[in-house]
Amino acid sequence: MSSGHEPSQPGSHTFDYKHVGGRFIGLVALAIVAYAAVGFGAINDTKQFAFSYLFAFTFFFTICMGGLFWTLVHHAVDAEWSVVVRRQLENMASLLVVMAILFIPLIFVAPKLWYWMTKLPGQDILLDEKWPYLTEEFFWIRAAFYFLFFGIAALWLRSNSIKQDVTGDARYTLLNRKITFASLPLFAVSLTFAAIDWLMGLDYHWFSTMWGVYIFAGTALSSLCVLVLIITALRNAGYFQNIITLEHYHILGKLMLAFTIFWAYIGFSQYMLIWYANIPEETVYFLRRNTENWQILSTALVVGHFFVPFLLLLPNLGKKKPAFLCGMAFWILSMHMLDIYVIVLPVLHKAGASLSWLDVACIAAIGCTLAAIFLKRLGDAPLWPLKDPRLKKSIALKN
Amino acid sequence: MNAVGNTQAKIYGIGAEFQSARDLYHAAEKIRDAGFQKWDVFSPFPIHGMDEAMGMKKSILGKIVFFGGLTGFLTAVSLEFGTSSFLYPLIVAGKPTNLYTVPAFFPVMFELTILLSAFTAVFGMLILNGLPRLNHQLFNWDRFKLVTEDKFFVAIEAHDAKFSSRSVSDFLESIGGTNITTIHGD
Repeated sequence: MSSGHEPSQPGSHTFDYKHVGGRFIGLVALAIVAYAAVGFGAINDTKQFAFSYLFAFTFFFTICMGGLFWTLVHHAVDAEWSVVVRRQLENMASLLVVMAILFIPLIFVAPKLWYWMTKLPGQDILLDEKWPYLTEEFFWIRAAFYFLFFGIAALWLRSNSIKQDVTGDARYTLLNRKITFASLPLFAVSLTFAAIDWLMGLDYHWFSTMWGVYIFAGTALSSLCVLVLIITALRNAGYFQNIITLEHYHILGKLMLAFTIFWAYIGFSQYMLIWYANIPEETVYFLRRNTENWQILSTALVVGHFFVPFLLLLPNLGKKKPAFLCGMAFWILSMHMLDIYVIVLPVLHKAGASLSWLDVACIAAIGCTLAAIFLKRLGDAPLWPLKDPRLKKSIALKN
Repeated sequence: MNAVGNTQAKIYGIGAEFQSARDLYHAAEKIRDAGFQKWDVFSPFPIHGMDEAMGMKKSILGKIVFFGGLTGFLTAVSLEFGTSSFLYPLIVAGKPTNLYTVPAFFPVMFELTILLSAFTAVFGMLILNGLPRLNHQLFNWDRFKLVTEDKFFVAIEAHDAKFSSRSVSDFLESIGGTNITTIHGD
């Protein structure tokens, strides 16, 4: 492995900011404009802002969580194929620290989002029954714990991985594996309860035992799509030559198919159990989303989030074509966005979907922030783990 | 050249022994390039890339499984809609059979598709491999039993179009095979 001799050459392992050029400034400028707009909207229509922001926050949060998930899976199963893409997953996961800061606005609008916070004890027996889980103190303690854990896990794994780039010491691989085994149960619990707190808690009367897994299914799938887009963009800029091959794309395509099916399986299981039991307390969620023009969006989700990618990813034709996979990744990501939209916004727009400019502004604000910081992260460390003991075998991957 | 089995019976093929997976792999490449069709390699463990070294085509099993799964799917569809929608229309919990109540039928469709796909995959694989069978002519060759320990074998079958005892045994010797043996049937 060469080091430092040919910096800033395409084909080298260090990202050169010249590929970004003015676009970085553009991103920052767009982010600032978007934040100004969001701030204006937050004052004008605080409630719409709260839901739009939660929608955008959740969309990007799930993607970053997916980065952490795949990093954990990589270490837990001692994976070989994913060594070459692991640094990009670590970069994605490290954005969870930024997500923690981006969570702060939600603190100020919390009672507008999670209306159980406005209820007094004794007002609603269903809320009192959920004591002490649904109390403000415990709610914020939990949120702090999630971000503390996500941040520590993501940054620690990444820093060990970067230290290994210099020394090539296999000790770091073993250390990361230990961190992973401690993190995996915490990850599952944190993601599940974060989903329950922030999304299911939008209507505290409603509950679903599939909720955490459902959010997880979208998390794992959407982060794969982002990974495909990232490595393709870097390949097109001249990096990863002879490092990431079409065989790696093939695996990513297969995982995308698998998690498309997994999402549908979980989504359908959740729907069917509630639908056939027909208990008013549970059906309220789907009743809202299957009436008015929410019905159209829910149906679009079934077709677009499952049938379209399933049928297109099932044959072997496209999985080794980066352009095709990128198209699928864009499509699935837009469907994931729709999924989160149909989860969050019906709580606000009871009479039917109506797109607010704040939805777009929040997506732009958070998206540009994360993209800008991600570009910074790209240049901070080599693009792939240079001295991972399994790197050679990962490059020589054959399906 | 040794001969095993009932030497009066028809020849099954000619076998050769190799000492390592690497030797076997390269031997397979040479046999493939020589244009033989009816032959096989035997090893104590799976060897990565051997299917390419042998020049094996993609199995048709996947296509067979598709039709197995389709059969399962259509069985479920016809049994469910046929019985509770046409022959004896049912209304359960105020839900008549229409587009919006189809979800109740999904699990059966899903399970039967999976079930028949899995059955087709397992039994199709066995049939394509000529299994189950009670014995094989190769077992007439005592040394072949070492295939479950540390030896690697190649056998070129007599019904290959290019087969002739002399040339095949010379060929196997030229690619590094040892203990070349003519295997007769019972």
